[in-house]
Amino acid sequence: MPEYLETTVDKFTFKVATDRFYTHEGVWVLPDADRVRVGLSDFLQQRSGDIAFAEVKPAGTEVAIGDEVAAIETIKVNVALGSPVNGTVIEVNPDMEIRPEAINQDPYGAGWLAVIEATDWETDRAQLLDPQAYFVVMKAEAEEEAKKL
Amino acid sequence: MTDPFDVAILGGGPGGYVAALRASQLGARVALVEKDRVGGTCLNIGCIPTKALTTSTDLLVNARRAKEFGLTIPQVAPDLPSLMTYKQSTVDALVGGVEQLLKERKVTLLRGDGYVLRPDRLRVTDRQGAISEVTARQMILAPGSITARPPIPGLDLPGVITSTEALNVDVVPERLIVVGGGVIGLEFACIYETLGSHVTILEMMPTILPGGTDEAVAKRLTLSLRRRGLTIHTGATVQSIESIECGLRVTFNQAKGLNAIEGDRVLVAVGRWPNTEGIGLSEVGVKLNGRAIAVDQHLATNLPNVWAIGDAVGGWMLAHKAMVEGRVVAEHVTGGQRAVDYRSVPNVIFTRPEVASVGLTEAQARAQGADVKIAQFPFSANPRARILGEAEGLVKLVCEAGSGRVLGAHLIGPHATDLIAEGALAVQVGATADDLAWTTHAHPTLPEAMLEAALGFRDATIHFHSR
Repeated sequence: MPEYLETTVDKFTFKVATDRFYTHEGVWVLPDADRVRVGLSDFLQQRSGDIAFAEVKPAGTEVAIGDEVAAIETIKVNVALGSPVNGTVIEVNPDMEIRPEAINQDPYGAGWLAVIEATDWETDRAQLLDPQAYFVVMKAEAEEEAKKL
Repeated sequence: MTDPFDVAILGGGPGGYVAALRASQLGARVALVEKDRVGGTCLNIGCIPTKALTTSTDLLVNARRAKEFGLTIPQVAPDLPSLMTYKQSTVDALVGGVEQLLKERKVTLLRGDGYVLRPDRLRVTDRQGAISEVTARQMILAPGSITARPPIPGLDLPGVITSTEALNVDVVPERLIVVGGGVIGLEFACIYETLGSHVTILEMMPTILPGGTDEAVAKRLTLSLRRRGLTIHTGATVQSIESIECGLRVTFNQAKGLNAIEGDRVLVAVGRWPNTEGIGLSEVGVKLNGRAIAVDQHLATNLPNVWAIGDAVGGWMLAHKAMVEGRVVAEHVTGGQRAVDYRSVPNVIFTRPEVASVGLTEAQARAQGADVKIAQFPFSANPRARILGEAEGLVKLVCEAGSGRVLGAHLIGPHATDLIAEGALAVQVGATADDLAWTTHAHPTLPEAMLEAALGFRDATIHFHSR
């Protein structure tokens, strides 16, 4: 079980799992050697809303950093998620087809999207945020959002 | 032998009876030969009875969801005999309506099996075996189609049925295997799944709804059906059906090897064939294209003054395609000129969610070299769809990049089969996405999803955001 950093902004509590890396956009990256599992941060899933449909690029797809690796559709937004690494999609969460709501229910666990085989994980990792850094970025964004409402 | 008619029509289905009504309206003396009841496959054993069943099963789904809508319905269950009565009385009323129209328009309805003796003469054999002949200056062949029977061993086993038997729901099989993931197979799969069957679909092609369905839509439908618990095997070629102790076993071949599943009933729905055998066509020299009657763009056959329409000429086997061909050919046989604009013939599938399309798919448009821009909108962001509790699906418009002309519209979602009419109009008149977007659509309604999709052409969608 990962541990979490937690913050509450305007009644909403957001968790950041401390066992992985993040992109600025809120895609988490959990490495296992050169293979990285990716998903949506708790903040990104809450901000996006109830997920109706998730489409992940099929295994075999080559992606460069920033290329769309998945798209999720919620009630009011379509969110294109950029790949956090250069590499090839090697596994897609089969549950995404049948119950994409897993992203909302368990963003750091059952709601994972794909596993990507990174061509140069060490280099790509340098571009990512550690949990503490993402926590700061996320909190600032959440507070900004709260002000808008 | 009576005076020659102006027009003799072989087959009283949607193509034939519409041609009869229209030709008569244009002043022709018309004889219509029909071996069974008017209305053909569509009205008697096709579109109409299946839609009666989908209407009931949709109600059943909603009744089971009553709580979501703030209602208490203590008990809801299908009542099969009443369901059959409702279905049959709907069919009977519509058949009666067509018969009355034919009478009002003074069309001579000859009941019996028609056989082409000469390009201007039909033989009619009635149920009692009495033979008569009809001569006419012009002949329209509208013999329709028959259920395709693939060469699969075991097709004649008890429990192996076609769509015709599937309409007569006497029992709900616990496990239903549907061979064929096309329109007919999928509609029945949805009907029986709602009634309580565990349904498995076997489709030979790599996706369900082969041919002409936009990939994005086919993919969404696959997901929706799987979410509801239907099992779908694609790329599955059925090898045989055999009787086993507790039902039927279907063996099929997939890339990964042979596989077999067991069921209580097997519905074979692999399409329909033009009904062109045993009605004198080859004897009289009508040119065929495979099983279909070969026609030119005016629906003329190779024989002078002999025309053909509907399922028998192949292409999309759709009642509304036959109807428009009937109207067009009625003008030809009365001295007019018109052509069918096949681009604007929609295709509709009454699954849940419904699927509908018109014009070019994205892949077809790109294959033709068109510079394409896709504009789409999900039903999850349409208020009416939310109210209905049917927010699954999307509207996808395939537009010409520069002009915004709508080349195709592809829908999956609530009432998609109704909503496609606007897309068909757009394709027919060459409307642009801007034309749709600046036509104010009433709020809160499902057609707003068409407007919002059209707004997407200018990246101006209001009620949905992409980031």
